[in-house]
Amino acid sequence: MVSLNSVLLISFGLFSIGVAGVLIRRNALVILMCVELMLNAANLNFIAFARHSGSPAGQAFALLVMGFAAAEVAVGLALVVALYRRRDTVQVDDINLLKG
Amino acid sequence: MEHLLESLGRNMFAIFGLLALAGALFMVASKRAVHSVLGFLFAMLCVAGCYISLDAQFLGVAQILVYAGGIVVLFLFVVMLVELTKYKERDIFQNQSRLAIVAVLAGVGAFAAVFRRAFFGAASSDALVLRPELAKGLDVARQNAQAVSRGLFADYLLPFEILSVILLVALVGAVVLAKTERV
Repeated sequence: MVSLNSVLLISFGLFSIGVAGVLIRRNALVILMCVELMLNAANLNFIAFARHSGSPAGQAFALLVMGFAAAEVAVGLALVVALYRRRDTVQVDDINLLKG
Repeated sequence: MEHLLESLGRNMFAIFGLLALAGALFMVASKRAVHSVLGFLFAMLCVAGCYISLDAQFLGVAQILVYAGGIVVLFLFVVMLVELTKYKERDIFQNQSRLAIVAVLAGVGAFAAVFRRAFFGAASSDALVLRPELAKGLDVARQNAQAVSRGLFADYLLPFEILSVILLVALVGAVVLAKTERV
Protein backbone atom coordinates (compact mmCIF):
# COMPACT_ATOMS: atom_id res chain seq x y z
CA MET A 1 0.00 0.00 0.00
CA VAL A 2 1.48 3.29 -1.08
CA SER A 3 1.11 6.05 1.46
CA LEU A 4 0.56 9.58 0.28
CA ASN A 5 3.51 10.73 2.36
CA SER A 6 5.95 8.53 0.50
CA VAL A 7 4.70 9.87 -2.84
CA LEU A 8 5.11 13.42 -1.57
CA LEU A 9 8.61 12.63 -0.32
CA ILE A 10 9.73 11.16 -3.64
CA SER A 11 8.20 14.06 -5.53
CA PHE A 12 9.83 16.55 -3.18
CA GLY A 13 13.18 14.85 -3.76
CA LEU A 14 12.77 15.07 -7.53
CA PHE A 15 11.74 18.73 -7.29
CA SER A 16 14.66 19.71 -5.07
CA ILE A 17 17.14 17.91 -7.33
CA GLY A 18 15.65 19.91 -10.20
CA VAL A 19 15.97 23.20 -8.32
CA ALA A 20 19.54 22.38 -7.35
CA GLY A 21 20.37 21.52 -10.96
CA VAL A 22 18.91 24.78 -12.26
CA LEU A 23 20.86 26.74 -9.68
CA ILE A 24 24.27 25.08 -9.93
CA ARG A 25 24.74 23.83 -13.49
CA ARG A 26 26.26 25.96 -16.26
CA ASN A 27 25.02 24.06 -19.25
CA ALA A 28 21.74 25.43 -20.63
CA LEU A 29 20.68 21.99 -21.87
CA VAL A 30 21.04 20.45 -18.42
CA ILE A 31 19.12 23.38 -16.94
CA LEU A 32 16.24 22.68 -19.35
CA MET A 33 16.28 19.03 -18.31
CA CYS A 34 16.12 20.05 -14.66
CA VAL A 35 13.05 22.21 -15.40
CA GLU A 36 11.44 19.15 -16.98
CA LEU A 37 12.27 17.19 -13.85
CA MET A 38 10.48 19.77 -11.71
CA LEU A 39 7.38 19.57 -13.93
CA ASN A 40 7.44 15.80 -13.50
CA ALA A 41 7.60 16.12 -9.73
CA ALA A 42 4.49 18.30 -9.87
CA ASN A 43 2.83 15.72 -12.11
CA LEU A 44 3.60 12.99 -9.60
CA ASN A 45 1.79 15.02 -6.96
CA PHE A 46 -1.19 15.55 -9.26
CA ILE A 47 -1.48 11.82 -9.84
CA ALA A 48 -1.05 10.95 -6.19
CA PHE A 49 -3.83 13.34 -5.20
CA ALA A 50 -6.04 12.05 -8.00
CA ARG A 51 -5.49 8.56 -6.60
CA HIS A 52 -6.19 9.86 -3.12
CA SER A 53 -9.43 11.65 -3.98
CA GLY A 54 -10.66 9.17 -6.56
CA SER A 55 -11.40 11.79 -9.19
CA PRO A 56 -9.77 11.82 -12.63
CA ALA A 57 -9.27 15.60 -12.59
CA GLY A 58 -5.70 15.29 -11.34
CA GLN A 59 -4.78 12.85 -14.08
CA ALA A 60 -6.36 15.10 -16.72
CA PHE A 61 -4.31 18.03 -15.46
CA ALA A 62 -1.17 15.90 -15.40
CA LEU A 63 -1.76 15.20 -19.08
CA LEU A 64 -2.15 18.94 -19.72
CA VAL A 65 1.11 19.60 -17.88
CA MET A 66 2.81 17.00 -20.04
CA GLY A 67 1.70 18.81 -23.20
CA PHE A 68 2.82 22.10 -21.73
CA ALA A 69 6.23 20.57 -20.97
CA ALA A 70 6.56 19.44 -24.57
CA ALA A 71 5.84 22.97 -25.82
CA GLU A 72 8.32 24.40 -23.36
CA VAL A 73 11.06 22.02 -24.46
CA ALA A 74 10.49 22.90 -28.11
CA VAL A 75 10.85 26.64 -27.44
CA GLY A 76 13.74 26.18 -24.99
CA LEU A 77 15.76 24.02 -27.34
CA ALA A 78 15.11 26.46 -30.20
CA LEU A 79 16.47 29.21 -27.94
CA VAL A 80 19.55 27.11 -27.15
CA VAL A 81 20.19 26.48 -30.84
CA ALA A 82 19.73 30.18 -31.70
CA LEU A 83 22.05 31.11 -28.85
CA TYR A 84 24.68 28.67 -30.03
CA ARG A 85 24.49 30.12 -33.54
CA ARG A 86 24.87 33.68 -32.32
CA ARG A 87 27.21 33.45 -29.36
CA ASP A 88 28.87 30.07 -29.96
CA THR A 89 28.22 28.88 -26.43
CA VAL A 90 25.58 27.13 -24.36
CA GLN A 91 27.11 27.98 -21.00
CA VAL A 92 24.76 30.30 -19.16
CA ASP A 93 27.47 32.37 -17.48
CA ASP A 94 28.87 33.33 -20.87
CA ILE A 95 25.55 34.98 -21.67
CA ASN A 96 25.81 38.42 -20.10
CA LEU A 97 24.23 40.72 -22.67
CA LEU A 98 22.17 42.50 -20.02
CA LYS A 99 25.08 42.91 -17.63
CA GLY A 100 25.77 46.62 -17.10
CA MET B 1 10.66 -16.60 -4.98
CA GLU B 2 6.93 -15.89 -4.96
CA HIS B 3 7.34 -14.07 -1.71
CA LEU B 4 10.06 -11.94 -3.28
CA LEU B 5 7.91 -11.14 -6.31
CA GLU B 6 5.00 -10.27 -4.06
CA SER B 7 7.04 -7.86 -1.98
CA LEU B 8 8.45 -6.37 -5.19
CA GLY B 9 4.91 -5.75 -6.41
CA ARG B 10 3.94 -4.19 -3.12
CA ASN B 11 6.95 -1.89 -3.10
CA MET B 12 6.86 -1.04 -6.79
CA PHE B 13 6.30 2.64 -6.12
CA ALA B 14 9.19 2.95 -3.68
CA ILE B 15 11.57 1.06 -5.99
CA PHE B 16 10.71 3.17 -9.02
CA GLY B 17 10.77 6.36 -6.99
CA LEU B 18 14.22 5.72 -5.56
CA LEU B 19 15.52 4.73 -9.00
CA ALA B 20 14.09 7.98 -10.39
CA LEU B 21 15.91 9.93 -7.69
CA ALA B 22 19.13 8.11 -8.56
CA GLY B 23 18.69 8.90 -12.26
CA ALA B 24 18.00 12.56 -11.46
CA LEU B 25 21.13 12.78 -9.31
CA PHE B 26 23.18 11.22 -12.10
CA MET B 27 21.69 13.75 -14.51
CA VAL B 28 22.71 16.71 -12.37
CA ALA B 29 26.14 15.39 -11.42
CA SER B 30 27.46 13.96 -14.68
CA LYS B 31 30.03 15.93 -16.61
CA ARG B 32 29.00 15.21 -20.18
CA ALA B 33 25.69 16.33 -21.63
CA VAL B 34 25.00 12.95 -23.24
CA HIS B 35 25.30 11.23 -19.88
CA SER B 36 22.94 13.82 -18.44
CA VAL B 37 20.40 13.02 -21.16
CA LEU B 38 20.71 9.31 -20.40
CA GLY B 39 20.15 9.98 -16.69
CA PHE B 40 17.12 12.10 -17.62
CA LEU B 41 15.76 9.25 -19.76
CA PHE B 42 16.21 6.78 -16.92
CA ALA B 43 14.51 9.13 -14.43
CA MET B 44 11.57 9.67 -16.80
CA LEU B 45 11.08 5.94 -17.33
CA CYS B 46 11.13 5.38 -13.58
CA VAL B 47 8.60 8.19 -13.08
CA ALA B 48 6.41 6.41 -15.64
CA GLY B 49 6.70 3.30 -13.47
CA CYS B 50 5.60 5.40 -10.49
CA TYR B 51 2.55 6.60 -12.43
CA ILE B 52 1.60 3.03 -13.30
CA SER B 53 1.95 1.92 -9.69
CA LEU B 54 -0.40 4.79 -8.73
CA ASP B 55 -3.16 3.45 -11.02
CA ALA B 56 -2.51 5.96 -13.80
CA GLN B 57 -1.78 3.47 -16.54
CA PHE B 58 -2.70 5.78 -19.39
CA LEU B 59 -0.46 8.53 -18.08
CA GLY B 60 2.40 6.11 -17.55
CA VAL B 61 2.29 5.03 -21.18
CA ALA B 62 1.87 8.65 -22.30
CA GLN B 63 4.89 9.57 -20.21
CA ILE B 64 7.00 6.92 -21.92
CA LEU B 65 5.79 8.04 -25.35
CA VAL B 66 6.18 11.77 -24.79
CA TYR B 67 9.43 11.79 -22.82
CA ALA B 68 11.37 8.74 -23.95
CA GLY B 69 10.00 8.95 -27.47
CA GLY B 70 9.91 12.69 -28.04
CA ILE B 71 11.67 14.96 -25.61
CA VAL B 72 14.78 12.85 -25.00
CA VAL B 73 15.27 12.44 -28.76
CA LEU B 74 14.92 16.22 -29.14
CA PHE B 75 17.54 16.76 -26.44
CA LEU B 76 19.87 14.26 -28.09
CA PHE B 77 19.50 16.05 -31.42
CA VAL B 78 20.45 19.37 -29.84
CA VAL B 79 23.39 17.78 -27.99
CA MET B 80 24.54 16.45 -31.34
CA LEU B 81 23.96 19.83 -32.99
CA VAL B 82 25.88 22.01 -30.55
CA GLU B 83 29.52 21.24 -30.00
CA LEU B 84 29.80 20.55 -26.29
CA THR B 85 33.10 18.73 -26.14
CA LYS B 86 35.17 21.90 -25.91
CA TYR B 87 33.61 22.70 -22.55
CA LYS B 88 34.43 19.30 -21.16
CA GLU B 89 37.47 20.33 -19.22
CA ARG B 90 35.81 23.36 -17.64
CA ASP B 91 34.07 23.34 -14.32
CA ILE B 92 30.49 22.17 -14.74
CA PHE B 93 29.13 24.03 -11.75
CA GLN B 94 28.51 27.75 -11.30
CA ASN B 95 30.81 29.91 -9.24
CA GLN B 96 28.02 30.62 -6.78
CA SER B 97 27.21 26.94 -6.38
CA ARG B 98 28.08 26.96 -2.68
CA LEU B 99 25.50 29.67 -2.08
CA ALA B 100 23.00 27.76 -4.21
CA ILE B 101 23.56 24.56 -2.26
CA VAL B 102 23.03 26.43 1.00
CA ALA B 103 19.77 27.88 -0.37
CA VAL B 104 18.56 24.45 -1.51
CA LEU B 105 19.48 22.90 1.83
CA ALA B 106 17.52 25.63 3.62
CA GLY B 107 14.49 24.78 1.47
CA VAL B 108 14.97 21.09 2.17
CA GLY B 109 15.13 21.82 5.88
CA ALA B 110 11.92 23.84 5.77
CA PHE B 111 10.14 21.03 3.97
CA ALA B 112 11.64 18.47 6.33
CA ALA B 113 9.99 20.26 9.22
CA VAL B 114 6.64 19.99 7.42
CA PHE B 115 7.22 16.32 6.67
CA ARG B 116 8.24 15.63 10.24
CA ARG B 117 4.85 16.88 11.38
CA ALA B 118 3.13 14.82 8.72
CA PHE B 119 4.96 11.65 9.72
CA PHE B 120 5.14 11.93 13.48
CA GLY B 121 2.55 14.57 14.37
CA ALA B 122 -1.14 14.23 15.01
CA ALA B 123 -1.92 14.02 11.29
CA SER B 124 0.18 10.89 10.77
CA SER B 125 -2.78 8.52 10.98
CA ASP B 126 -3.69 6.10 8.22
CA ALA B 127 -6.00 8.71 6.67
CA LEU B 128 -3.20 9.52 4.27
CA VAL B 129 -2.81 5.97 2.98
CA LEU B 130 -4.09 5.71 -0.58
CA ARG B 131 -7.13 3.50 -0.16
CA PRO B 132 -8.05 1.00 -2.86
CA GLU B 133 -11.78 1.74 -2.78
CA LEU B 134 -11.10 5.31 -3.84
CA ALA B 135 -9.41 4.07 -7.00
CA LYS B 136 -12.84 3.07 -8.29
CA GLY B 137 -13.39 6.62 -9.47
CA LEU B 138 -10.39 6.19 -11.70
CA ASP B 139 -11.76 2.88 -13.04
CA VAL B 140 -8.53 1.03 -12.52
CA ALA B 141 -6.70 -0.68 -15.36
CA ARG B 142 -9.39 -1.31 -17.95
CA GLN B 143 -11.02 2.07 -18.23
CA ASN B 144 -8.36 4.44 -16.96
CA ALA B 145 -8.13 6.11 -20.37
CA GLN B 146 -11.91 6.58 -20.32
CA ALA B 147 -11.79 8.22 -16.93
CA VAL B 148 -8.98 10.56 -17.97
CA SER B 149 -10.68 11.49 -21.22
CA ARG B 150 -13.94 12.20 -19.42
CA GLY B 151 -12.06 14.58 -17.19
CA LEU B 152 -10.22 16.11 -20.13
CA PHE B 153 -13.01 16.49 -22.65
CA ALA B 154 -16.03 17.04 -20.42
CA ASP B 155 -14.94 18.85 -17.29
CA TYR B 156 -11.78 20.60 -18.44
CA LEU B 157 -12.36 21.26 -22.11
CA LEU B 158 -11.32 24.92 -21.94
CA PRO B 159 -7.80 24.27 -20.53
CA PHE B 160 -7.39 21.56 -23.15
CA GLU B 161 -8.23 23.95 -25.98
CA ILE B 162 -5.97 26.63 -24.49
CA LEU B 163 -3.19 24.05 -24.41
CA SER B 164 -3.68 23.39 -28.10
CA VAL B 165 -3.27 27.12 -28.80
CA ILE B 166 -0.12 27.14 -26.64
CA LEU B 167 1.26 24.22 -28.63
CA LEU B 168 0.58 26.05 -31.89
CA VAL B 169 2.32 29.19 -30.61
CA ALA B 170 5.27 27.09 -29.41
CA LEU B 171 5.50 25.40 -32.80
CA VAL B 172 5.61 28.70 -34.68
CA GLY B 173 7.94 30.23 -32.09
CA ALA B 174 10.39 27.33 -32.28
CA VAL B 175 10.51 27.58 -36.07
CA VAL B 176 11.05 31.35 -35.97
CA LEU B 177 13.73 31.11 -33.27
CA ALA B 178 15.71 28.30 -34.82
CA LYS B 179 15.65 29.37 -38.45
CA THR B 180 18.81 30.82 -39.96
CA GLU B 181 19.18 34.50 -40.73
CA ARG B 182 19.61 34.18 -44.49
CA VAL B 183 16.14 33.79 -46.00
